[in-house]
Amino acid sequence: MKLRKYGLLLAVLLVCLLLLTIQTRGGGPGRAADAVAFVVTPFQSVLTHVHRRALGIWTTYTDWKSIRSENELLQAESERLRIQALQVEETRQENARLRRLLALRERLPLSALASEVVGREEDGWVRAITVNRGRGHGINRQAPVIVPEGLVGRVLQVRSGASVIQLLNDPASTVGAVVQRTRTYGLVEGAPRGTVRLKFMARDGAQVAPGDTVVTSGLGNLFPKGLPIGRVIAIEDKGSALFHFAVLAPAVDFARIEEVLLLTGQTQQDVAGVFGTDG
Amino acid sequence: MRALFLLMAFGGNLAQWSVVPALSVGGVTPDLPLVVTVFLAVRKGPVAGCLAGFVAGLLQDMAGGGLIGIQALTKALAGFSMGLLVGRLWVANPLVQVPALVLLTLAEGLGRFMLLQLFHFPASLGDMMVHVILPQALYNGFLGSACVMCMAGAASIRGRSWI
Repeated sequence: MKLRKYGLLLAVLLVCLLLLTIQTRGGGPGRAADAVAFVVTPFQSVLTHVHRRALGIWTTYTDWKSIRSENELLQAESERLRIQALQVEETRQENARLRRLLALRERLPLSALASEVVGREEDGWVRAITVNRGRGHGINRQAPVIVPEGLVGRVLQVRSGASVIQLLNDPASTVGAVVQRTRTYGLVEGAPRGTVRLKFMARDGAQVAPGDTVVTSGLGNLFPKGLPIGRVIAIEDKGSALFHFAVLAPAVDFARIEEVLLLTGQTQQDVAGVFGTDG
Repeated sequence: MRALFLLMAFGGNLAQWSVVPALSVGGVTPDLPLVVTVFLAVRKGPVAGCLAGFVAGLLQDMAGGGLIGIQALTKALAGFSMGLLVGRLWVANPLVQVPALVLLTLAEGLGRFMLLQLFHFPASLGDMMVHVILPQALYNGFLGSACVMCMAGAASIRGRSWI
């Protein structure tokens, strides 16, 4: 056993030395390499083939992993950019709205205070919004509230840091109005279903037609004269009734109000020109 | 058992070509066929160690394109020596196996360098020792300890000792 052990070692050593000797003395490195390659190359090619297949599978797996993580990163990046784009668009729209509000305030012949809508109450019984200006800002009850499109309503309640605005389409809202073209006077009031109509319109003023603009009359000195209220879209002829009714499309989209101007001063001047509705 | 022996000997070389380049740390790579040779020698004795070292070294020589027989000789000697130490220096103990692997790698490196010197190898021993032999010996030791832990874990799972 011991002899076999050392015999094997000796054989291995001799083979190695023989290989080295052949390479350095006899036929040069080529012949020894050829001899070993004759035996080893088939194994080596099998191993290389296996290695390549394994490496291919491994590379596919690592590529898949990297693509997956890259995909996750890109999705997160895309999500972030989408949110950023929405924020930019939101800021752009807010900026445009505030610019229009500022331009309106500068054109108005009376003092006004810009305010942001912080609450909304629209349930059919009440249609109101809450803004972030109140008693401390010099706001008074009944103060008119406007946006660049026209009249929004009036201040119903003034609190310390906020005010509640009754919208024009609130069922309890009434505003003195006039049809701009025919100078027909009436009252604009809200309806429970959220519409706005002009009533108490005398029969002799019935030349009012769809498309006519209705503005505040200025009577009662509550609202300045000429604030746009809406446009006539239909006439309700009640036949023998004393009065006609006109259904109005409000100048303001009440559902989309975000910033408003609270008028804090008084003027006898017709402000229709400020809104570009003076004919 | 011979199939397993061949599989391990060839598998060590296969891993050396495929996995080891990815394990390179600062240009230093472990000598996986030597690690396999040493563990085969510990388990199967000097004959298996010698043969495994010879086959693994021959394949490495072929793959390297240099003088054929250098690594076959040094690895065969390393496998044989490790096999001889079994039963004499508590080599069965994993705490001895890892330092023995480091020392054996150093010895194999030195032997290889001396053999190559006979064929006018240009590099100096100091350079080879600092940049190749010593780092590789340490890396082999690290890899060897990982293998020992894996084998101990596997043995505890199977309920019997591997070593």
